[in-house]
Amino acid sequence: MLALLLKPKILSFKNSVNAGIVLRRLPFIAIGVGFWVLFYIGIYKVLSYVRGIEFFGEILARKLFSMTFFSLLGFLIMSSIVTAIASFYLSKDIPLLLSKPVEIRDILRLKTFEAFMNSSWMALSFMPPVFIAYGISYGAAAGYYLLILGCFLLFSLITAGIGITIAHILTRIFPAKRTRNVLLGIGIMLFLMLYFLVKALIPQDISAPEGFINSIMSFKTESPILPSYWITEAIFPVLKKSSFSIFYPIILLSNALFFLLLSEIAGLRFYRVNTERIQPSGERVGRGILGRYYPEMNTAMFYKDIKTFFRDTGQWSQMFIIGVLIMIYVYNFKSIPIKALSGFPFIKEIMVLVNLVLSGLVLSAVSARFIYASVSLEGQAFWIIRTSPVDIRKFLWSKFFYGFIPVTALMLILVFLTNLAMNVGGILMYLSLGTVVMLCISVSGLGTGFGAMYPKFKYENIASVSMSLGGMAFMLTAFSVVIATLSLEAWIFYVYNFRAGAVGGLDFSGKIQIAASFILILLMNASAFYFPMRIGKKKLQEYTGII
Amino acid sequence: MITLDNISKSFNATHAVKNISLTVSAGEIFGIVGPNGAGKTTTIRMMTGLLTPDEGKILIGKYDIVNESIKAKAILGYVPDKAFLYEKLTAREFLIFISSIYSIPRNEALSRIDEMLELFGIKDIEDELIESFSQGMRQRLLFASALIYRPEALLIDEPFMGLDPFGVRMLKGVMEDLSSKGVTIFLATHSLHIAEELCHRVGFINKGSIISIKTKEEIKGMEGGLEGLFLKMGGQENNFC
Repeated sequence: MLALLLKPKILSFKNSVNAGIVLRRLPFIAIGVGFWVLFYIGIYKVLSYVRGIEFFGEILARKLFSMTFFSLLGFLIMSSIVTAIASFYLSKDIPLLLSKPVEIRDILRLKTFEAFMNSSWMALSFMPPVFIAYGISYGAAAGYYLLILGCFLLFSLITAGIGITIAHILTRIFPAKRTRNVLLGIGIMLFLMLYFLVKALIPQDISAPEGFINSIMSFKTESPILPSYWITEAIFPVLKKSSFSIFYPIILLSNALFFLLLSEIAGLRFYRVNTERIQPSGERVGRGILGRYYPEMNTAMFYKDIKTFFRDTGQWSQMFIIGVLIMIYVYNFKSIPIKALSGFPFIKEIMVLVNLVLSGLVLSAVSARFIYASVSLEGQAFWIIRTSPVDIRKFLWSKFFYGFIPVTALMLILVFLTNLAMNVGGILMYLSLGTVVMLCISVSGLGTGFGAMYPKFKYENIASVSMSLGGMAFMLTAFSVVIATLSLEAWIFYVYNFRAGAVGGLDFSGKIQIAASFILILLMNASAFYFPMRIGKKKLQEYTGII
Repeated sequence: MITLDNISKSFNATHAVKNISLTVSAGEIFGIVGPNGAGKTTTIRMMTGLLTPDEGKILIGKYDIVNESIKAKAILGYVPDKAFLYEKLTAREFLIFISSIYSIPRNEALSRIDEMLELFGIKDIEDELIESFSQGMRQRLLFASALIYRPEALLIDEPFMGLDPFGVRMLKGVMEDLSSKGVTIFLATHSLHIAEELCHRVGFINKGSIISIKTKEEIKGMEGGLEGLFLKMGGQENNFC
């Protein structure tokens, strides 16, 4: 029966994949593969460096391996709870399935498969470079790759089973739409607790390598009751070619079966009652202080988007996650031992650059969630815009400002605070804030344009829009623009301070290089803004898809 | 008021609409009927600017829907067959949004909104989120939003979808009233008895082409009325009868 229920999904997938689509998506696939290769190289280099540390190298490499799975354990359980609630209770095919002569047990199995795939596809696609890097570094045999693939699958099934069981119980206690809010609170609390736990374990002075290594080693991820411990114990001996024991793979297998069975028992107990509790009901909304406000044509779209944002839990709840991330980001910069590092030349300038790179990463991620998704937010109601006398150019500008204003304010506050935490002021402060504004303009334009080029008007959850191929491609392109801009700025700084210092003044070649770099920065950022906006406008005007 | 000049549209080399030419004058109610997949919705979607014809030209008033789309859309109202709306807005907020994008002055808009909410019987739920509306209520709201800016032409795809008998009766009255005031109405429907009652002319579309246009009087004079004609036309073209 499960195979029969899965058939529509498999056929839908088969029908949506053809040579034309694959060809159109080839640039995205190339970007993804490029990222995969770079990720692999990065992991391999870090691993080689760590393994090269005297005495501690091998222990540290093993520790990093177990810490990776420890972090994945938490991430996958949280992700499974959220996707299980969406798959089991909010999915659009549920009324159809419940109205057909299908056993609840079969619906539960179908939805378990869906929740498992949706929650773990990202980890399953991002982890191979890590596994390969470990395998190559240790010169592992083919058996290692097969073993890690099997064990990771079982590990993901355990997290899916735990997540689905919690989702059924939470939905029994709260209606599904509120569960996500409760969950969000739980997630943030867990994250903060974990953060402060880690922070408390790490000594304040981490400038000395011994202190840093000791703090990593003191972090207890290796409790024998955790699946992350079992997978480490199953894999590492094979990786080091010492011995192979079937004990831990069997522990993983038995636990995967147990938690899947537990999730099914919880489903059989609660699912029918829970689905009956989730019925739409009329909700009267107060007009509020802006009740008498009447927007003009140019601001109507913006006003509508802001109202929708604060009423849609799926949208505003993401602010909390971003808020927590920013808090930790600022706190981390405050913890940097600037004084201990003050002996190094240009350390402040280097730290400002590192700060800008990291804030660029935050900018790319936040823009994917809020700016790239803004066009798709219209959903299937986009026909209203297409059939009304609204110029698509004005529509895109409205979407641009909808994302640009809050993102720029956020990034300026972020960089300003982190600069303050590092005692950075004067010209460096102005230059970094100027760079942030420029990057916000170009990345916001890039996001709006990409969002218009690859709109996804039919979605179950707005978060899925930024996770689409287009969203991923945007994030990587945006981060590339950030990295290229900052590299050119770093080059200007290098030429101005080091090369000029070496020859006793800025020569003609130096001046040319600085001017060229400056022009290149402006051209690149202007292009990142202009071309996607222009192509996006054209694509949206010609859009004939689902609306 | 509405001119379709030899328009065609294909999807993946299959003709959805083929060489349709038609003129609908001001104040006329023109109905288009035909079997499923005949090309009714594609024709209407081209008239709204959602799809671009491969060949031919569509004029709304004196404006080309492709080359002067903003001007054409400003005088055009559209009620689609599927009521996708902004779920997180209330009915009143949605109507304010529509009034704003059609640049209606504030005071005129607010009084018009109250008038529309009363007319379509949704005043009681004006402050409820659209996500909780039934299909019939959504249809009423769609009509209110399409009429709020006093369009000169109205395109309607399946106007009676989800409406209760009171709603159907009210809507028929609204359409007749609009027609008497000079508004052109172009509607696609499967409700043959209503089309027969309302439309001044009815066009039969099949396999993307209009195969016949009959006036109200011509239909009345035929045995079995519009339904008889429909079955006869469909039988000839499709062999499904």
